[in-house]
Formats: sequence, C-alpha cells, structure tokens
Amino acid sequence: MRKLCYIPVVAIWIAIFSVVGGVDRNNFKTCDQSSFCRRYRAMKKGESPYQLLLNTLKEGESDLQVSLINIKNVVHFNLKLTALENFDFRLEIDEAQPIKQRYRVDYALKGEPATRKLVVTERTSESITVTNGHNKAVLHASPFKIDLYNGKTLMMSLNAQGLLKFEHYRQKTEKPAVPEGEEAVEPPAPVDEAEADIGAWEENYKSHHDAKPHGPSAVGLDFSFPNADYAYGIPEHADSLALKATTATDPYRLYNLDVFEYELNNGMALYGSIPFLIAHGVEATAGVLWLNAAETWVDIEGGAHKGSNVVSSIVNFVSGSGTPPPPLEARFVSESGMIDAFLFLGPNPETVSKNYAEISGVTPLPPLFSLGYHQCRWNYNDEDDVKSVDAGFDQHDIPYDVIWLDIEYTEGKKYFTWDKIKFPHADDMMKNLSLKGHHMVVIIDPHIKREGGYYVHEDATSNGLYVKNKDGNDYEGWCWPGSSSYLDFFNPVVRDYYASKYSLDNFWGTTLDTHIWNDMNEPSVFNGPEVTMPKDCVHYGGWEHRDVHNLYGLTHIMSTFDGLLKRSQGKLRPFILTRSVFIGSQRYAAVWTGDNMAEWEHLQASIPMCLSISLAGMPFCGADIGGFFKNPDSELFYRWYQIGAFLPFMRAHSHIDTKRREPWAYDPETTSLVRSAVRRRYEYLPLWYTLFRHHEVDGLPIMRPIWYNYPKDKSAFTIEDEFMLGKELLVHPVTKSGLTEVSVYFPGEKDLWYDIDELELFSGHGTKTVQTPKEKIPVYQRGGTIIPKKMRIRRSSALAKDDPYTLQIALNADGLASGSLYLDDGETYEYQKGQYVSLVYHYDGTTMVSQLVDKEASFASKSWLERIIVMGVRKAPGRIVLKSQSVGEQEIEFAFNPNKHLLVIRKPAVPIAEEWKLFFH
Amino acid sequence: MQTRHLFITLSCLVSLQRASSVEILRPRGVSVTKTSLYDPEKNFTCFDGSLTIPFVQVNDDFCDCPDSSDEPGTAACPNGLFHCTNAGHQPMDLPSSRVNDGICDCCDATDEFDGQEKLGGGHCTNTCQEMGRAARELAQRLAEMQKRGAEVRKEMARKAAELKAGKSSRLGQLRKDQEEAEALKAEKEAIKKQAEELETAALAVYREAEELEKERRAQLSKEENEKEAKSMFELFDADKDGRISIPELMTKQEFDQNRDGQVTNEEARFFLNQNEEVGEEAFITECWPRMKPFYMMSTGKYIPPGEEPNTNEETEDPENFEAAQDDDNNLAEQTEEPVDAVETEENPEEDVDDGEHEDEEEGDQDKEEEDSDHEKEGEKSFSEVQYDAETQRLIDDAANARHEFEEADRALRDVEREIRQIEESLDKDYGIDGEFAALEGECFEYTDREYTYKLCPFDQVTQRPKNGGGDTRLGTWGHWAGSESDRYSNMMYTNGQSCWNGPQRSTKVELSCGTENLLKAVSEPNRCEYKFEFETPAACHISEDASSKGIHDEL
Repeated sequence: MRKLCYIPVVAIWIAIFSVVGGVDRNNFKTCDQSSFCRRYRAMKKGESPYQLLLNTLKEGESDLQVSLINIKNVVHFNLKLTALENFDFRLEIDEAQPIKQRYRVDYALKGEPATRKLVVTERTSESITVTNGHNKAVLHASPFKIDLYNGKTLMMSLNAQGLLKFEHYRQKTEKPAVPEGEEAVEPPAPVDEAEADIGAWEENYKSHHDAKPHGPSAVGLDFSFPNADYAYGIPEHADSLALKATTATDPYRLYNLDVFEYELNNGMALYGSIPFLIAHGVEATAGVLWLNAAETWVDIEGGAHKGSNVVSSIVNFVSGSGTPPPPLEARFVSESGMIDAFLFLGPNPETVSKNYAEISGVTPLPPLFSLGYHQCRWNYNDEDDVKSVDAGFDQHDIPYDVIWLDIEYTEGKKYFTWDKIKFPHADDMMKNLSLKGHHMVVIIDPHIKREGGYYVHEDATSNGLYVKNKDGNDYEGWCWPGSSSYLDFFNPVVRDYYASKYSLDNFWGTTLDTHIWNDMNEPSVFNGPEVTMPKDCVHYGGWEHRDVHNLYGLTHIMSTFDGLLKRSQGKLRPFILTRSVFIGSQRYAAVWTGDNMAEWEHLQASIPMCLSISLAGMPFCGADIGGFFKNPDSELFYRWYQIGAFLPFMRAHSHIDTKRREPWAYDPETTSLVRSAVRRRYEYLPLWYTLFRHHEVDGLPIMRPIWYNYPKDKSAFTIEDEFMLGKELLVHPVTKSGLTEVSVYFPGEKDLWYDIDELELFSGHGTKTVQTPKEKIPVYQRGGTIIPKKMRIRRSSALAKDDPYTLQIALNADGLASGSLYLDDGETYEYQKGQYVSLVYHYDGTTMVSQLVDKEASFASKSWLERIIVMGVRKAPGRIVLKSQSVGEQEIEFAFNPNKHLLVIRKPAVPIAEEWKLFFH
Repeated sequence: MQTRHLFITLSCLVSLQRASSVEILRPRGVSVTKTSLYDPEKNFTCFDGSLTIPFVQVNDDFCDCPDSSDEPGTAACPNGLFHCTNAGHQPMDLPSSRVNDGICDCCDATDEFDGQEKLGGGHCTNTCQEMGRAARELAQRLAEMQKRGAEVRKEMARKAAELKAGKSSRLGQLRKDQEEAEALKAEKEAIKKQAEELETAALAVYREAEELEKERRAQLSKEENEKEAKSMFELFDADKDGRISIPELMTKQEFDQNRDGQVTNEEARFFLNQNEEVGEEAFITECWPRMKPFYMMSTGKYIPPGEEPNTNEETEDPENFEAAQDDDNNLAEQTEEPVDAVETEENPEEDVDDGEHEDEEEGDQDKEEEDSDHEKEGEKSFSEVQYDAETQRLIDDAANARHEFEEADRALRDVEREIRQIEESLDKDYGIDGEFAALEGECFEYTDREYTYKLCPFDQVTQRPKNGGGDTRLGTWGHWAGSESDRYSNMMYTNGQSCWNGPQRSTKVELSCGTENLLKAVSEPNRCEYKFEFETPAACHISEDASSKGIHDEL
C-alpha cells in the first residue's frame, strides 16, 4: 500500500510537495550515494589481491577448508567449499579472526543443506581440484579463482575478473595529525581503500544519519558464465525478464523498499529481494544463490546483453572481424555479512530450479480457494459494503472466492482490532460469507501503533518486543497509525507472541475462513531513510538492521504462518499474501507486485515481473488487476482480467482515491468480458491446482518463460510478452490498447498448438498472427498434453467441490498425449497423510488409460468424469468402450467433428478417483 | 457439427417431478409456460434448433444443447435457467449453476435435491409460506404508503401549479416595472453626467495638491516600518554583533511554527531566508516581512497578510508569499490528529472558485463596493481641503446626482434579479406535474458519525464536520439523472468543491416514495462521489397498475 500523500508531519518542511505521478527518485539512493556500492564499482578488474594458501588445506567429509589472504593488507580469511547433495557446491568465505562476528543468514533456507562426499582429485602447487559426482571445482591459488565444471563444460568462474572484495571489521583509528613536513613515525597499519572512503564510518543520506559503528564491512564477488547469453532472476525489479547490462546504469539493487508509484524499466530496488540468478545459454544453464540479507547491488555485463558495445562485438565476432563477446558476468556486492554462495551447475533450467528448491524450499500446496478470484479494494468500507459487493457477484453471476479488507477495517490502524462502528458484526459477516463458500482476507501489518491502552503496544513495550534504535531504546517511526514501533520478529519470543494474536479467541471477528495479508513489511517507515528502518537499528541478538534488512518481511510472514497454523491446531493450510519477499518466502506466502498503476505499460510489466519472481522460486505471484493507482478505462480493465486469469495469483485491487471498479462497474459489455475471464479462471482451476501440486513435489516454476521449456531456442531468450503455465499452456495476453491482432511465437520445432477457445489446431512452430477481438485471450494448449478442467461454474471454488471433470486432450504430431490430475480436500493437510488422488492419463489413439500414481493414497471424491475432449483426431472411431471396476464394461457415446478434428466423448461417468481404460475401435 | 448417437446405456437420472398442487408433469426446473416444449413422448430439440436429442437426455446431467435448453433441472449447462415454483411466494428463475451447489436458493428447496448436506449444515426446507406472508405484508405496507404519498404528491402538484401561476402574473408586473426603472435610470444618468463634468472641471486645480500629500504619507509609513524592523533587529541580535544568526532566532519561541516546543534549525533558517545569518539591511528587506505575521500572531497582534495595509514586500515576492502561505497551511495541519491529516489536507487546497451560480451576484456586489470605495476616498481626501463655495456646491450636486443614479440603478437591478429568478424557476423542471417544486427552498439534513449532510433540493448539497468547521459543497443542482423510463428517480448535483488531488465532488440523490420528506442515508461509494437516499411523497407517482404490481403468486 500506497497513499497519495503519506506524511503529514514529514511534509511540513517540504513547502511544495509535488504529487505528480511517478516515483520520487530523490527518495532512493543511487549506487554513488551508497558508500560500499561506490567503493565496489571503483575496483579495477584483474588486480585481485587475494591468494589461497594451499598448504593450509583441510579436508572434511563433505567440504574442504583453506586459508585465503588479502596480500595488500594481510588479512586472513577462511574459505570453505561444500559438496551439496545434488552435485552443486556451496562457497563460504569469512574472516579468519574477526573482531566481531559476521552475520550468517538465518531463516532463508529450508534447513541445513544436505551434502555429499567431496573428493579431492588433484593437488598441485597452483591449484586443487575436487569433484562432486560429475561436477568439478578447480581452485586456483594465485590469483585466486574458482572454475566450476559440469562434466567437461565450464559453467562458471568465480573471481575471474578479480573483483572479490571482503572488507574486514576493524577498529576505528583516529588518524594522528601528522605535522606538516614530517613523516609519520609509525608505519601505517594495513589499510584498504575502504578506509579512505568518506562513507566508511558514517553516512548521511538526506536528513538521515547512519552511525555505522562497525565501519566498512562490504563483501563482493564476480561470477562469470562463459556459456551463457543472458542472466535472469534477482527480483524484484520492474524491468525486463532478461537482465540488462548495467555498464551505463546503476546496478540492479536488492533492498526491500516501499517505493511509491514505482517506475518501470530500471533496476531500482522494490519491495522484495531474492538474490538468486540464473545464467542461461543454448548449451548450459547455471545458477547462483547469493545468501546475504544486507543491501545488495548486482552488476551485469557481457554475454548477449543489449548495449551498443556488446551488440557490436557480437556482430563483429559473427562477421569474423573481432574478438568473441565477453562472457556474461554478474557481480554481487553486499553491505555486510559474509560471502555465502550456492553454485548451481545445471546444466539445464529444470535442474537448476529443482536443486535451488531443494535448498530454499517450495510453496506448499495452497488451499484451493486461494487459486480462485480475489476481490480487493482499499477499502470495502463497512459490513454493508461487503454485503453489497458479495451480492453484486451473485447478481452478475460472476464467481469469486475471497473478499478482502484493507487497513480501514481496523480501529485506528491498530491491528487485531476492528472498527466497531463500521464492522459491529464482523463475526456474522464472516459466517455469512462462509455460508456461500467464500473466504475473507484481512490485512495485518508489522508496525504497531504507539498508543496507550492498545494491548499489543503495551505488551511489546513492557516485554521489550520492539526493534531498538542505536541507543537501545524502542525505535519509533511513522506509518499508517502515526507514531509506530516495529516488532522484532528476529526474536523467537516475538514470533510466538505475534502468532498467538491470530488465535480465534484473541482476534475477534475472524474464523478459520479468514486469512491474512501481510503488507508494509519491508518494513515501510514513512519518515525513515528511503522509507524504511535506519540501518543502525538493533535487532535481537545484537545484529544491526543493516545485516538483516531484507529478511524482515520473511520473519514477519513466518510468524503469521505459524499463528494461522496453530489457530486450526495444524489442520488447515494458511493463505498469506506478502509484499516483501526474500529467499524462502515461498514456503509461507503468495506475493504480488505491489502498488502498480492503471497503465498498459504496467499491465505489460506484470509478465516479466512475475516470471522473474517465479524463476527465483516463488510461484504464487500476481499483479493488482486493473492497476492500483489511477482509473483504468474499460479496455484496460477487461484486458487486465484476461491476463490476471492466467497468472498464478488473481486479485483485483484499487487505491482508495480511485473510482469503484467491481467487475460490474463499467458497461454491461465490460461486465460480460470480465465474467468470461473470471470463468476461464475457474474452468482451469483443476489444472492450476495440479500445477501447484507438481511444484510442491518437484520445485519447478509454474509460470515459465518460453525459453525455460525450450532452452535451446535462442529466439525465445528475450520473449516476455508470452509465457507458459507448466508445459501445458502457452499464454500470450493482449497487453496493448486497440490491438485487433497479436503476433504469437510458437516454440518447439515439432510441437503443435491448439486454440483452447476453438478447440482446434492453430499452429505449429513459428510466429503466427491471431485475431484478438475483445473477448479473445490467446491461450494455446501444447500438443501431447492432457488438461483437467471443470466446466460447471459455481459461485465459488468450494461449491464446485463435487462437480464432474472434463479432460481436454491435445494430440501431438504422433497422435499421443499424456497428463495428470491431482485432487484432495482442498484445505487440510490430510493429503500429506495420503488423503489425495493423483492420476496420470495416457492417450495413444487406440486406448486411453487413467492410472493412480500412488495406489496407497486415496481420497473419497464424489466427482466423476463428465466428458473427454480430444483435439487433433484425424478419423472418427467406430465405437468407444470404457472399462473400469465400478462401471464394468460399457459403450460410450461420442460426437466427432471432422472439420475441426474434434472428438467429444460424452459422459463416461466414471468416478474421477478410479482407474479406467478406454478402447477406441 | 455432425453428430452420431450410438445407443445409450446410461441410466437416466430421475428427471420428472410432480408439481405440488397442480397435476402437470414437467421436467425439473421447467416453468408451466414452457412445459409444452418438453414432451416426453418426443425427441427433444434444443430451443435454438441446433440439435435434436432423445428425450432421456433431457436433465440427464450432461449438457448437449449449445443454448443450455436441455438441462433446465441440473447444473450441467453453463447458461441454463432453473425455475422454482415457490408456491406461496414468488416464482424465480435462477442460473442453473446454482442447482445442487449446497446453498438453498429457492424457498421451496427444489434447487437442492441431491440429498447432500448444505454448507451451513442440514438440508433445505420449504420456507415459501412464511416468506410469502412476509413479502405480502411488506407489499401491502408499501402499497399503502404509496397511496398516502400519492395523495400528498397530488397536493404538492396542485400547489406547484398555483405557485407557477402566481409567478407568471408577477413576471408580467415585473416586466412593466423594468421598463419604468430603465427610463428612470437613463434620466438620472444624464443628470449625473452633467453634474460630474462640472465638478471635474472645478476640482482640477485641487488635484495637484492632493498628489503631493499622498506621497508624503507613503514616505512616512515606509520609515515607520523600517524603524520597527530595526528595533526588532536589535531585540533579536542578542550578542550585538550586528548579525542575526540561527541560534539567536532559535531562542525565540515565537518562531516555533509547529508548536513542538522548540525552534528547530530549519524553522529558524526559514525566517532568515535560508541564510546562516543576516545583517541589518537584509533583515529589514528580507526577513522581517517574513517574520512579522508569525511574530504578531504569537504576540497576539496577528493581522492576516491580506488585510494588512501596504505590506509591500510580501506581495512583491511571490515565492516568499507562497512559502508563507504553505507554512500557514502546515500550521493548520499540525493541530490535527495525524491519522486524519490526509483528509484534512484537502481543505486548504480546496477550490477557491465557489462555482458559477454566485458569480453574477458577487460581481454586482463588487461593483457596488468599488463605487462606494471611490466615494469614500473622494470624501476623505477632499474633506481636509477647503473649497470655495461654488466648488463645494458643484461637489455636493455631483454627489447627489450620483446617489440618485445609484438608487435608480439599484432599483432596476432588483427588478431584473427578481425577473431572472422567476424565469429560472419557471424554466426549471420540477417533474411531470411540477410536484417537486415544493422542495425548492427547503433543506434536509442527515447526520452520521462525522458529518452533517444537508440537501437543499434544486440548490446545493453540503457537508459539515460535526466537530466544527465550515461547509464543504458536495455539488450544486445539475440535472435529473434517472433512467429513461424513470427520469425523476435520481437527481445529480455536480461541480462541488474539488477534492485534494482529485475530482470535483458530486452527489447523486436517489429518490424514493415516502409519506414525508426525509433524508435517509448518505454514503460515499466512490471517492468524492456521494450518494444520498431521499424519501419524498413527490416520488410517489402511482402508475395506474402499480397497485396490482405488488405481488402475485403462481399457483
């Protein structure tokens, strides 16, 4: 969230505050204004002062440790290389004898990463070679460098550019005044360039002072990817999917910030930070996880990136007149912490994702309702408003699952309370929603109003639950409630306390059908430096905010997740939406792209933004439908619903100053277009649910760039106006005004693509134009797949629980297809005890089978199979016979359309959870 | 589409039901009027004619017809309609997607026949009798109210007609008056012109002396100002170094603009025109003019800048002026609760232009004021001068002539104003029978938690905070905004005061029949777009069949 003007008090001295659209860049630092970023960028390539002392090598069961020295200032470091279970490596570098412990990131990983045996295969005076399965690492002593291979392919090199940087903690020395003309008597202590920087021991930004009591402490390292063309990931930025070269711009910044009216097409920091990067080329895919929670900047250079010098060098190279283009390079620098990097050696996108998910975790299967349509607004004003919006959906026959309440439902922005005048019967309101299978999500932010008598504030004050300022007092900032303090979720006691606030006993008005929106958790502090908390604030364990900033939101949602889990005695799956994310946030929450704008460019940006977030391990992503700020016109509005229906998280949201825009707020035609889009969402809900289950099992993204499924297709590397859902659907939404046609790229040399509206073959490989009248959402099913659908549209997903399924089959060039269906109760954890049904389907033209994947598992579903649609059938079958245990052997009716090559099998009527076989005679 | 049906092996769901009171067999979900379209003896043809299917496939829980007509009694088709008879209450057509979805939609419970437990637990029961009774009672009450209201309305219309007739005849009289007044004004104008010419000629000799006197006064006032500034300079210059610095100002509580108990560096710097320190000259020309209003205010002698005579520097330098203005606003904001600050910020920014309806009148007043100013000035500056008797006589004559002319002019304008008002009112659309005319001139209030809202029909809509503060105009009378068939069901009041960084406020008034005029509810469904619900007998227009419209049962 969002407000046109935050800051009543802060604005006092800004005599003229302009509220023209767009971010106020002056509120946010450039690299040059961030002293460690400035220092890092000033380093010169090829002058690395670091060397390995190979004789110090210690071999462990799964790791090796060796000393690393900075020969310029003779500071020693410990380097540790660990062999991970999936054949990847982890590199850790820390000070050998630190005067103060360096922060080691907590919470982000799923657990302690599993390891394998590390084998030292070769030792010379210059290098050590180790292997982990088919992967290999060569550590060069001087200059220090690590080369990592998958088989014989060099996947990445570390410090190949010599830009390793490790600013050790030091005592602040008051420089003795040296009298003019005299030499200093003492030999100068070992120094580095950090010492000379004016921002080394304190920094000022605007009116904010950062005390920096521990001085310079940055860590940085360069990663080269000789086989990669493009880098992807490191969200969250409102930028292109393929990262741009940053040679002429600031680096990409990772520092969780509440950016008011963010700008598109640049690498400015946004609400979330996931320092995971995928480097991809035709031959190889690799990944780097930079495990650091401090402010981080990432420079990208080389590869096939845009930028005149690089392009021209590629052109020259191709035409034979120049040197090969420089390798793709990514340079990470963080303000504090240690170097801790996971090095994923691929060699393909799926291996990288899967292994990354092994480390950082997956999104557990969400409750089914959360995959439905969410209706939100800042704000639904009172109970009557909620009631009339709910009634509006019924009246206009549009399904929805969740209605949301933004901050105004609280009493004076005191979370866990209700405005009793607007919501005197919140409990009844909640129950009435439940009676129609609907859910509610209410907002709970991490800032706490400093008001006497507010129990959370009083508890937090008396028990010391707040983050402290540098002087050890409760830190006070300004947020929605006015003067606020911030709970220190790094303290387990705070997390437990906060979790207990969600109990139904404590939080009157909520029920088990009430779920939670955790917003403003960067944290947002209206009067803080860059609208967040000062870096010299102090958290539990004595860690500075500087060390842990990007983790704050994660610890917040961890506590909420725990609270929701406990509220149902661990029975029900929580749904949480968070704005701030870090590595691991996917284990607890869905994310949205924050406060976007009702503009076509923002609609376009929602695809690359969610794709980047997906690649970084968070599949449950969406953008505010309609755009948060400003008023969309009817065309933008319905087109936004059309794309929203095919993004993992589907929520409409709007700013308090905008006009009302429930689906029926425009003309009847618009309402009808929105209705179709929302119905499309519900029609494909079984596919969404199945895809989320697949993600939980295999860790792969749900929403994928085209290149992800077609890694060798160079022409797909920069496509960001279309995407795939799993391997089944290709989506190319209309994201520009007035378009009567769009040009869709269909990948896969042998692949066939079927139009899901027409239910017929549309295209093979290549680019094809498709007409896009108002109602058209260009979505194509890949030949060879089978998709489960529900064609009966109810008022909410819960009401369709027992409805029959339709299987939609698209045949590949060989006339084959396969697919799967997952179902369970949609809300509990019983599936983890085997209460589910997982089926695979195979179709080969003469038979079709339904087989249980796990015969031990079972779920008593009342659903049955209503129809089977087969697209791409050349010849009508003579007759079709179904065989199953409950039905026996029966002949089944069908209809065949020879023009469309479409076979519709009527009412097999077999229970969905059963195995069966169809015979085509 | 070419369809081939093979033999059917599926057991047909029970798809025929017995209507409770009348012995007609019809498929589930079909209304009596459509029964003939579903003949169990024949194959069924989709209503759109696209397909013919065996009758067993009607209501067999599979959608065959593209137009959804084969499954009126199941949820199988996407756009089907399920008919419930609801004997004892009103019949209903509901989307067939609501059949067997776990929610009891029909009061006769026929939409939920799958025997499954419903969402709130239990099963659906037939509640049509109670609901029907309640609905009939309600309808009856409404009908009675409608009837009573309609009588009042008739009376309102009659009065409106009377009023209109009165106004028309008054208009005739006024037109005559207007002619007379115009003639009188012309006559007086000629006299005035002549007298003033004589006066001007006589006064020319005195004019020069008057100019000199003016200059002398201006000089005097400038010196006074400087003297005051100098003395303040000495007062503030605590260390007597001939410079006023930020620390020196920070000790003066008068400059604590935000009343936080201390004068901050920024606050002091503002008054030093962003300098670290200033000398006397700069203080006099740049700083004191900026300080003076605040200083005066805190010492209880505040005179708002606009009313101060000759505060020249401030108006000369627009930036200074603006900054000072902004600070005024900020001072105002500060005293508000922070939570409400965003809301209240609107006020200072509000549109100064008060809409068009008052412009004319204001213009008139301005003119009058101007005239009288002129007069006063004349009197004042000449009173000190001794004129010779002849000149004095000419002056008096001219003054008399002016006075008489103004009297005549005012009389004419009064007549014209009244004509305009009557014409406007005769032009206004007060409904089919003029029944809304009686509402003009009256105002109706509604008070909620924070505001009192006031609706003055055909004039304007305002809102006033309960805890004090001025009116905010939510719109002035715009037009009727009902649907084509019911034009007088909604009023639009537009061009209200602008919202901060937002649109102009506007108000839609929804009218409904009531026996008395009553503003029933106010809400703000969109930011700055208000909705008023207003009950009035004027909205009780009875169409002849309205009484029979209330309710009728099927069966």
